[in-house]
Amino acid sequence: MSAPFSPSPTAHPGVPSEGFLLPDPVWLAHRTRRHFLSRCAVGLGGIALASLADAARLGAAPAPSAADLPNPLAPRPPHFRARAKNVIYLFMAGGPSQLELFDYKPKLVALNGQPIPASFIEGKRFAFMDTSHGTKLMGTRRQFAQHGRSGAWVSELFPHTAGIVDDLTIVKSCQATLFNHAPAKLFMNTGSGQFGRPSMGSWLSYGLGSECQDLPGFVVLQSGPRGPRGGAVNWGSGFLPTTYQGVPFRGTGEPILNLTTPEGIAADRQRQTIDAIRDLNLQRAVATGDPEILTRIAAYEMASRMQSSGPELIDLSRESPATLKLYGIEDGRPSFARNCLLARRLVERGVRFVQLYHTNWDSHGGPGENLQSDFEKVCREVDQGQAALVQDLKARGLLQDTLVIWGGEFGRTPMGENRDTTGRNHHIDAFTMWFAGGGTKAGAIIGETDELGFNAVADPLHVHDLHATLLHLLGLDHTRLTFRFQGRDFRLTDVHGKVMTKLFA
Amino acid sequence: MTASALYLRRPAIPGRALLVLGSLLDLAALPLPAAPVDYLHEIKPLLTQHCVRCHGEQKEEGGLRVDTAASMHLGGASGSILRRPAGRESLLEQVLAGTHEDIPAMPYKKPRLAAEEIARIRAWVADGAPAPEREEPGRWEHWAFVPPRRPSPPPLPASLAGWPRNDLDRFIGARLAAAGISPSPEADRITLLRRISLDLTGLPPTPDEVSAFVADQAPAAFERLVDRLLTSPHYGERWARPWLDAARYADSNGYSIDAPRQIWKYRDWVVAAFNRDLPFNQFVIEQLAGDLLPQPTVEQRIATGFNRNTQINQEGGIDPEQFRIESVLDRVNTYGTVFLGLTLSCAQCHDHKFDPISQTEYYRLYAFFNNSVDDGHGDRRSRSTGVLHFDADGRPDDRLEAELAETREQLEALFEQQGTTVEAWRRALPPEQRRKHASASLRAALDVEWARQSFNQRRAVFPLARPEDPAFKALNDRYGTLTRREGKAVSTLVMEELPEPRPSVVFIKGDFTRPGAPVTPGTPAVLPPLRAEKPNRLDLARWTVDANHPLTARVLVNRVWQQYFGRGLVETENDFGSQGTPPSHPELLDWLASELIARGWSLKALHRLIVTSATYRQASRVRPDLETIDPLNRLLARQSRLRLDAEIVRDAALRASGLLVPTLGGPPVFPPQPDGVMSLGQVKREWKPSTGPDRHRRGLYTHFWRATPHPALAVFDAADGFSACTRRLRSNTPLQALTLLNDRQFVEFAEALARRIQSEVPDDLGARIDFAFRCCLARPPSEAEKSRVAELYQQQLTATAGEETARRQAAWLTVARVLLNLDETITRE
Repeated sequence: MSAPFSPSPTAHPGVPSEGFLLPDPVWLAHRTRRHFLSRCAVGLGGIALASLADAARLGAAPAPSAADLPNPLAPRPPHFRARAKNVIYLFMAGGPSQLELFDYKPKLVALNGQPIPASFIEGKRFAFMDTSHGTKLMGTRRQFAQHGRSGAWVSELFPHTAGIVDDLTIVKSCQATLFNHAPAKLFMNTGSGQFGRPSMGSWLSYGLGSECQDLPGFVVLQSGPRGPRGGAVNWGSGFLPTTYQGVPFRGTGEPILNLTTPEGIAADRQRQTIDAIRDLNLQRAVATGDPEILTRIAAYEMASRMQSSGPELIDLSRESPATLKLYGIEDGRPSFARNCLLARRLVERGVRFVQLYHTNWDSHGGPGENLQSDFEKVCREVDQGQAALVQDLKARGLLQDTLVIWGGEFGRTPMGENRDTTGRNHHIDAFTMWFAGGGTKAGAIIGETDELGFNAVADPLHVHDLHATLLHLLGLDHTRLTFRFQGRDFRLTDVHGKVMTKLFA
Repeated sequence: MTASALYLRRPAIPGRALLVLGSLLDLAALPLPAAPVDYLHEIKPLLTQHCVRCHGEQKEEGGLRVDTAASMHLGGASGSILRRPAGRESLLEQVLAGTHEDIPAMPYKKPRLAAEEIARIRAWVADGAPAPEREEPGRWEHWAFVPPRRPSPPPLPASLAGWPRNDLDRFIGARLAAAGISPSPEADRITLLRRISLDLTGLPPTPDEVSAFVADQAPAAFERLVDRLLTSPHYGERWARPWLDAARYADSNGYSIDAPRQIWKYRDWVVAAFNRDLPFNQFVIEQLAGDLLPQPTVEQRIATGFNRNTQINQEGGIDPEQFRIESVLDRVNTYGTVFLGLTLSCAQCHDHKFDPISQTEYYRLYAFFNNSVDDGHGDRRSRSTGVLHFDADGRPDDRLEAELAETREQLEALFEQQGTTVEAWRRALPPEQRRKHASASLRAALDVEWARQSFNQRRAVFPLARPEDPAFKALNDRYGTLTRREGKAVSTLVMEELPEPRPSVVFIKGDFTRPGAPVTPGTPAVLPPLRAEKPNRLDLARWTVDANHPLTARVLVNRVWQQYFGRGLVETENDFGSQGTPPSHPELLDWLASELIARGWSLKALHRLIVTSATYRQASRVRPDLETIDPLNRLLARQSRLRLDAEIVRDAALRASGLLVPTLGGPPVFPPQPDGVMSLGQVKREWKPSTGPDRHRRGLYTHFWRATPHPALAVFDAADGFSACTRRLRSNTPLQALTLLNDRQFVEFAEALARRIQSEVPDDLGARIDFAFRCCLARPPSEAEKSRVAELYQQQLTATAGEETARRQAAWLTVARVLLNLDETITRE
């Protein structure tokens, strides 16, 4: 035996006899400590599990402190120095039109109503092209202006966002592979259109653990008329352990499923229940020597802390009126703006990955999805909140450690789509995303599209590259963050991915 | 040196300490070779296994072959590898030891040979490398592609002479003895009863069953218990679950729309097949090709639902052919994972990088599955779509589909015939007339030219254009009636072959838009040949369960083993290829596979064999002495504590609380779940909690939505139904704690248990605590546990004000919640 804590090997010869009820406390201490070191990758100095086991042997188990118990979400060091610690991903579900927001194309306006020049579409597959919704070019009807020192073009629909362009890195040359919503969203989240792969938040939790011991490491918030297409698989952990999956916080009622103590059971009774569970579990841990029971005890302690930290998190009563005004939060109703403020509160508390979904950006031109009033409405729903989030993070010194990502699963076509009104179809060859904080270059505009907005002609940022870059900002090498499943080492970037260093400050 | 020892020294957890200990163990456990070394038996197998793959008939890296001693003497680019220059080691010794300056350590990028093996090779080289003259070249063969031989159970040393209960134990015992480890003592009777009850039926024993078993001191009491549990109908429920995981069973279509589907008759078929102990070979044939058997029974057609558990994409704007192809690919991949234990899916886009499966061979398997009538849209495009309907009496109603298809064809003919007229009318329709139609879908249909309208759009538009058409109304009404009848009917998805097979091709880089060379159905060359002129799915099914197939039986026994010990003999239960973990006990794996076949593929016989072994019956207590020598318990010197599967977490609580409704089978049920779960999917779907008996059915019957699975199942790692799941994770998370503590269902169970404690046991605190423990854990509490729970009860009772009965119920509710939350309650020890 080589472990420094181990007792002399002769103390434990062969098979325990039938009368063997409790393992030697020194051995248990060694065993559990080894468990902490090997399974949780966190060094714990001078913990007194031996005395804990001694006490359990006497039937009077003390309350173990949270720090003493194993935790699969314990923080783990990155591969190299990280630029960002946390991520807030504002997912614009449905695919916002870059042509109405950031990618200003005067030539497209000039050619409004014309057929597509053949040179732009040779060899391309477009979504829904077999329908009779039309394939004529459509220029935007929105007014654009340049803003900030960077001179970024932003349309009239995003007045608040236009005010923070010098804090953003705007990438106009984003590219995806799949053009139906559910697979495209999966692709954006997991790097694959197939179900069953872990989402980026799960990969990050797996790679880095969580700095927060009172809340899950990966939280999902939703707003808008319906859930994002594909649903929970977008934040699933795939083949990674479920510990790493995103936990959706709900807009109304209890923020986490089953977070609230059952009706009719007082808080002290709940605490006494959890204490008794812990004591009995600890006795069983000593009797069986199974470290998995210690993990379970730790899980109950975390659950108990979540029961108090969850309601505290969503209680905005201690936010100043100025803050609420900045976000444009007028009442307690669920909204994207409220979720933005919650996102700030979550990263403040050390939550690694917060993802906000907002629907509906699917502007085909059908009822509820037109590019006129419906589009204006969805823009209004997000504009102030997202700008406030960046400003608020910056003011509190959180922006340098927090990477904010904004974008949908794809963009929209330069052609119009004629349904009840005119809209645009799904487009994967060029769309806009923006980033802020977390080591990205403030006030930069990266990538270009051709004069009609069909293709990225400079600095393309494919989804796989985005993933590689994201992991890099968090200190992880995308080729080294792997998990073996079904005989193969899987990565978020599969066999692809180039880090885009241009994005870095 | 047995072959099994070769596998001993690949530490699953890389770490220097382990490596050092591992080799110490080898040295201690294995006798050092005594000269002279026997080349053919002691050297050649090592080289064949580790070296010949790159230095043999197929590849001659560095111009070197080591498949005969003569080739080694001859050497490659660097000369003879056996010659010892004066005072120095031979090249072979240097590269194996990793001491050569230029040549990297061998085997290249693989774990080194064990110290003892290198020592043996040294002794042989030192001896002058003697070898027979006319030597057959050694050929590298991956173990899993060589059909299992039937090994004889090895002898045991005297110290273990009394230990084995059957031959299985000899394989385990011999390895333990070689490693100098003794097995653990047998678990106590109550632990054993709870373990076997959970393992065979997924339900813990009742307090009465515990008393009866403890009282039965007859020598064969345990064997009788096993027989009783194997004839319980709950056995089929328990063992159906892992099979349904592998079959990616779910009650919805998946993808983003995730509409409900009916295929529960397939689930019930699996339960019934296990209960009647349908031989596994027949079980496989009926699922893969029941529809192609001569005069298939309804049951045999239902069985083919195995291949219909693919997702169906009902999203708009998709290319249905793409998703039909996805289904076929999924069938190939599932076939590979479930039956062959191979990662066939790697060969979808290119030749398999590690295993001898070419891309062409992948698509030859694809060709077997590419001929069914179902399409990619779940839409009605042909006369049959592979849905088997049942009439009100439960008899198959094959007429319904035919009549529907016929009516549809007649309508389509009418639409064709009148197409020009309708289109002319549509074009002439002024825009303001169009706008006046109330429904957006009808307005949208009117915008689409007739030739491009869908069938249902045409049904809506046609009567506007031709209100007086004599044929339309009758046909359309009939179609509506039939569709409604179809909507209400019990049905199940089945495989049904097209009259003429579809042509199959290789897809270049796996991309369905890039068809390559045509292929015919066939099996991979590395496996035994399939002898049939024009093989179909039935031939494939029969080939799969051929007694000489090297994979099927091994893969199956390994998965069964994994359920009992938490880990398979081959740890990578879904990868028996060269990247998988080699078996910890190769002879045992082969012996079990041959036993299965020898016993007529009876799964019940296999279960009986395993659970009556001394190996299975060991205590699960963690042993300090194994901590460093066998930390993962691969040698099985003890049993393991295993957290219960998601469904069984529920079942155990239902049984403990006395609420369990043990009815078998039928449509899925809707036990309560927290509000708001269903809104997480793209399409909000209703979850109306079952009332009455269906509220308390086993977890197996909970309606499983792929997009929004029941959270109490998902949180305990239930399979997701997206792809074949052959091993569940066992996570241990705070969300599980919140579920057991706060979920309405679990509070309901605790309330029932609290009432049960008070109604079934006289008013005595100690006796009631005893009973509560027996309900949840089968065992009575220890003194320490009893006093802790008594203290809790008194605390709760005094802390509550009010009427006595209510105070008592509240105090017992707390006790019940504590017990239902214990790690031990949700663990098989």
